Amino acid sequence: MRGTLLYIGQRLVLIAVTTVLVSSIVFLLLHQIPGNAFLNETRQTPQALAAELHRYGLDLPLQNQYVNWVQGVLHGNLGESLVNRQVKITPLLVRETSVSATVGFFALLVTVGLGLILGVLAALRQNTWVDYLASSTAVVGYSIPSFVIAIFGLLVFGHYLYLWTQGTFYYVPGWGKLEQIPVPALALGLPYASYVARLTRASMLETIRTDYVRTAWAKGLKARVVVVRHALRNALIPVVTILGPLITGIITGSVVIENIFGIPGLGKEFVTSILARDYNIVIGVFTFYAALVGLANLTVDVIYPILDPRIRY
Amino acid sequence: MAQAAPVIQPDLELSYEMPEQVTLLSDAWRRLKRNRLALVGAVIIGLLFVTALISIVWTPYPTWLQAVGPTYQPPSAAHPLGLDQAGRDILSRIMGGALITVQVGVGSAIIVSLIGIPLGLLAGFYRGKVDTVISFFINIWYGIPDLLVALILVFVLSDALHLIPRGVLVIVIAFSLTRWMDVARLVRGQALALREREFVEAARMSGARDFALLARHILPNALGPIIVQATFAIPAAVLFEAFLSFLGLGLPSPTPSWGAMAADGYHGMDFAPHIVLAPTIALSLTLMAFNWVGDGLRDAFDPRMRR
Amino acid sequence: MNAVDGVSFEVDRGEIVGIVGESGSGKTMTALSLLRLIPEPGKITSGRILYGEKDVAQMTDEEIREFRGNEIAMIFQDPMTSLNPVLRIGFQVEEAMIAHQRFTNKQAKERVVPMLQRVRIPAAKDRVRDYPHQFSGGMRQRAMIAMGVSNEPSLLIADEPTTALDVTVQASIIELIRDLSRELRAAVILITHNMALVASLCNRVIVMYAGRVVEEGPTRAIFKNPQHPYTWSLLRSMPRVDEKEKERLISIKGLPPDLGKMPPGCKFHPRCKFRVDRCFTEEPPLAEVDPGQQARCWVLMKNIPDPEAQAKT
Repeated sequence: MRGTLLYIGQRLVLIAVTTVLVSSIVFLLLHQIPGNAFLNETRQTPQALAAELHRYGLDLPLQNQYVNWVQGVLHGNLGESLVNRQVKITPLLVRETSVSATVGFFALLVTVGLGLILGVLAALRQNTWVDYLASSTAVVGYSIPSFVIAIFGLLVFGHYLYLWTQGTFYYVPGWGKLEQIPVPALALGLPYASYVARLTRASMLETIRTDYVRTAWAKGLKARVVVVRHALRNALIPVVTILGPLITGIITGSVVIENIFGIPGLGKEFVTSILARDYNIVIGVFTFYAALVGLANLTVDVIYPILDPRIRY
Repeated sequence: MAQAAPVIQPDLELSYEMPEQVTLLSDAWRRLKRNRLALVGAVIIGLLFVTALISIVWTPYPTWLQAVGPTYQPPSAAHPLGLDQAGRDILSRIMGGALITVQVGVGSAIIVSLIGIPLGLLAGFYRGKVDTVISFFINIWYGIPDLLVALILVFVLSDALHLIPRGVLVIVIAFSLTRWMDVARLVRGQALALREREFVEAARMSGARDFALLARHILPNALGPIIVQATFAIPAAVLFEAFLSFLGLGLPSPTPSWGAMAADGYHGMDFAPHIVLAPTIALSLTLMAFNWVGDGLRDAFDPRMRR
Repeated sequence: MNAVDGVSFEVDRGEIVGIVGESGSGKTMTALSLLRLIPEPGKITSGRILYGEKDVAQMTDEEIREFRGNEIAMIFQDPMTSLNPVLRIGFQVEEAMIAHQRFTNKQAKERVVPMLQRVRIPAAKDRVRDYPHQFSGGMRQRAMIAMGVSNEPSLLIADEPTTALDVTVQASIIELIRDLSRELRAAVILITHNMALVASLCNRVIVMYAGRVVEEGPTRAIFKNPQHPYTWSLLRSMPRVDEKEKERLISIKGLPPDLGKMPPGCKFHPRCKFRVDRCFTEEPPLAEVDPGQQARCWVLMKNIPDPEAQAKT
């Protein structure tokens, strides 16, 4: 237990370091750009521009700006938006993170839930139509990008469902209502669900042929117990190892999904700020993303030894 | 002790198809099926390349030419895939998009390998400090959303630094700079394993220089997995380009990128779904084809990975 | 393809029966079929497995589940892979007891430590919460045995229980199986290729070759007067310390037949030194050769003058 806590502590420090490091790279990259949001504004007098630059500390030498920025990050302060004056970035992004995390959580639920169910069914009914259906869905599904699924989702649930139910029941892009969650979560989760299904099927097929599953049968355990407690429990181990990359993929995918479905999360903010050249926010979003990915990976690594007692920290 | 009633009294006949042969047969069947997918994939890729080549010299209409007919016109004999919101011929634009896809995919696979292979070889062959530094970067990378870094790089490289005008090249470079770690990690592992093998040891004993060892003994033996990894880089790069262009952050209009075309059609989806269907289907088929061929190659090169 | 054909025998209460034969002779398949555990795509095509009044081959899924581990328990060859790596040893024993009506959950929990002590696992109280990877091979096999006898079955099938273990622990495992079977008055089927083990432990021997019983009888009779040439050769291929005369060891030339390429007639004739014309065309039946001893041979060793001399040519 103490070992685990120590391990988590070390990892948290490492996540903090990685986050600062990665956002530093982004910070330095973006500060190579001569232009910024202010240049878009017309009717800008040189004096007013200088005043603005001074207000944001952008007239300082780069190294001073960097030191200020790092100090801010370490205090949880990511500065102010360059476009919408006075808007503090940290609380804004915290709010948006909760939106993105909600979508991401449901997408992960789709990915893992659907992937596991399909994979297990395919393995248990190997070489039947269930298997063929699940396997061929998986072999096609993992190549279709989430924005394509999103477009089709919008077409089917937003447009055709509208026509079919004559306008009584359909999906409206946006955020805030419960019924607006499933479509984006599906679009985001489906490609990875087929990946999980493939992996689960392969690993289930391996475990149901192992000696210890035969032992479980020989003990006279119920079929459900053998499948869930003995076969699936072990088959999950390789699936958990890919959860880390999966979460990174979902975060990347959410950038497109949030823009298509008009969800006010980090991903939408990211694209909007890039287009508006609001670099303070871009850097801030990135800091959040790096921390999120790090924390997600840490969660996975903490779950891992619970599933596989052979791993200890 | 023994009582008259027997505990168990079997009288058996078991049919059993020989397990070895069954697994062998079904394994072969599975591989055949998988290879058939790979074959289908190879055909699609072949078509993609041919289309791309043709589009260099000929497309039915110029890809940028607007108002060749009424806007949003559905597919017809004159325009098999219809016209888009600006009245451009979609078939021509899909053909042009094929060329961009090929350039992005192949270009990225090459550059990723050019960066990843030497670094992986260095790390795996010399180990020690070199390895520590390279592995550190590889591990950091696994903790960040790489595509988003690449996205920022596209901006910095083109818009800001004016190094290269925003186009295919900048996308390829941005992608490769953030994705070389996959290849590097693989090559590092291969080099670590191969440097201990007898034939490398034998070559070293006979006085071969490090470079000769790497070039003549280690690299050729690691080539199979490298090709597989590079093949999987192609769909990743294609997806990246589509992703950027769909968001409007990639290739500028009127470049016929499939991602940008999907974004164009997306607003008129309710009444003209053909505009969005053509590029998304082309894109999905291409990604599938490369993934299938990649799976097939992996099966062929690495029997242990076979599922 | 019949892996096992016309295998017919019986095991009496409290008896220890050895099934011997080379690998691929169908002995493991026979044992697995008693619990209907033969792996796909094998199946029992015909025949009965009488357990008292009931026929195991005709049982419903629920009946066979209740039967496995309760009436007949099995111990497998490789204890390294036969225990579930992600579940605690104690739980795996407990689970075997809970699966059947014999014990309540509470009783099962309380019986785990005594069971482990009974199979002579040292410090059983501390080790119930260990995982399999924390156990040595011998200890794991003891845990397997504990699982097997926990429901006091009337028959224990041990499939090469010591083959995968260190020579030093083999004897103690065999001793344990013998003692427990006496205490529980359970019959034992011991599957092995080790003739010495059979001689020291078993009341009766069944010799299998190419999926058939070729000879069967009391251990003493078989070892003294083997009638099937295969049994005879097996015994002569084994060095013996108590042998007074200096006999030369005899090796059996050739390999056992492939399932797909079974020879016609007697399945052993291609490797037999004593074959006659009839052996090539007609398969002999299992016939009584002495009271309680049966063999499947046209010739029989008692009809051969000076077999040693013949075998050497």
